[in-house]
Amino acid sequence: MRLFLFAAIVILCCITLACDSKEEVEQLKVVVPSGVAVPEDMVYIPAGDFIMGDPSDPKTLQGKTIHTEAFLIDRYETRRGKYASFKSDYSFDPSKKNFPVANIDYASAEAYCRFKGGRLPTEAEWEKSARGIDDRKWPWRNFYQHPNNGFSGFLPEPVDKRPEWISPYGIYGMGHNVWEWTSDDYSYPGQAPAELGKFKVIRGGLTQTHTTIKFTPVFFRNWMEPTASYPFLGFRCARSIKSVD
Amino acid sequence: MKFNRRNFLKAFSALGLALLPGNGYAVPDYRNDKNFPKEYVQNRDIPEFHIRSANPFLGVDIDNWGLVVGGKVKNKLALGYEDLFGFKTHSQISRLKCVECWSAKAKWGGFRFEELVERAEPHPSAKYVHLKSADSYYESYLLEELLRPRVLLVLSMNGAPLSKDHGYPLRLIAPFKYGYKNIKYITQIDFADSQGRNYWSNHGPYSVDGTIQPGIDHPLDYHKKPLPINGGEVFHPFDKRPDQG
Repeated sequence: MRLFLFAAIVILCCITLACDSKEEVEQLKVVVPSGVAVPEDMVYIPAGDFIMGDPSDPKTLQGKTIHTEAFLIDRYETRRGKYASFKSDYSFDPSKKNFPVANIDYASAEAYCRFKGGRLPTEAEWEKSARGIDDRKWPWRNFYQHPNNGFSGFLPEPVDKRPEWISPYGIYGMGHNVWEWTSDDYSYPGQAPAELGKFKVIRGGLTQTHTTIKFTPVFFRNWMEPTASYPFLGFRCARSIKSVD
Repeated sequence: MKFNRRNFLKAFSALGLALLPGNGYAVPDYRNDKNFPKEYVQNRDIPEFHIRSANPFLGVDIDNWGLVVGGKVKNKLALGYEDLFGFKTHSQISRLKCVECWSAKAKWGGFRFEELVERAEPHPSAKYVHLKSADSYYESYLLEELLRPRVLLVLSMNGAPLSKDHGYPLRLIAPFKYGYKNIKYITQIDFADSQGRNYWSNHGPYSVDGTIQPGIDHPLDYHKKPLPINGGEVFHPFDKRPDQG
């Protein structure tokens, strides 16, 4: 009888765990060196190598090992409420102050980050923050379908809504919500000369075909003219460690 | 009294917008009835440029057509077809990107939305624009979006007056929006202080915003082969960008 009860409890626990779609993303253990102050809502990313790009995508670095210095990056995409503290004539619905700011061109995004004492992340910094050091394809590692299929448009969410979709460094919104400006020009082998220096790399949003919505892999490089502003395009900021007082 | 264009303009001057039947086309509802006359505008997959029509109808009789510009404006306008040729004309080559995945390219000729803004003088609170059509379709935009440089109120396509299939006598081309936002057969433009719904957000899974999302396109002029798009106005590698002359 005891054995039966024990087995039943074990089976029940397994079913409960299997049904829980909000699996926790295993976090990398990071030790912040003494003397490095990490501001609220920023994350310390240590110096070191990571694998950038993927062999399946010739417009990426195709799995090359890249070294970055340590840096800080925003845990969340820049919120509308915070952006308003920088640009007083920025109007937004106060009930959506925690949604990502969008319709912001590259220069405005860069200016905000400077105002906050930082800069836009480089593409390498962005990708390392999203995938960690283990060559994963999704920030949360495992593949699953985007749950919002069946709708054509873009539906932003509060920047801190999805703890189940964080990166191994605990960073939100790197596989969904808005696309994000990075500081790098978009270039790749064989690029047409007329395109050189014309676009900036944007990262980390969703792709759509008709009403099918898909997560994009962490290595996927999108591109955009710096003057563009669209409702699906926002940003987050980064800082070099040496600039932290 | 026969209601024709001249009477429309005369009536507008004499009685004001409230008494006008001018843009109130009585359109039979064939959305759920396949037995509509063959000569009606309807969905057809023309290889060069597919035709899409939410509600099949006969097309506009120009003698019964007029454009009313109203809502929150200082000057309400009633314009006949020939009045539209008094505006400064522009032309551009741009793609119509359908939310169903295909896109097609044409040379569009017409005038800028700011021409109407200058004449109608909308109130400062009027941040939105609602458009209605002769086939009982309707759309909603942010005023700011309609003032973007590549947005045209279109009178001609590929050097000829718009055809019945493509929205004669007046349609909108906003190249960074999905095709369903590019309303045809426009009869009424209202400035408003709140965002309205549009036809497809009320009848299907398509967003009011309708900004073209990053994803995949199947251009008709490329044998529908899949090509990546970055979001916003679609330019494929074989398309000329505006700054390329």
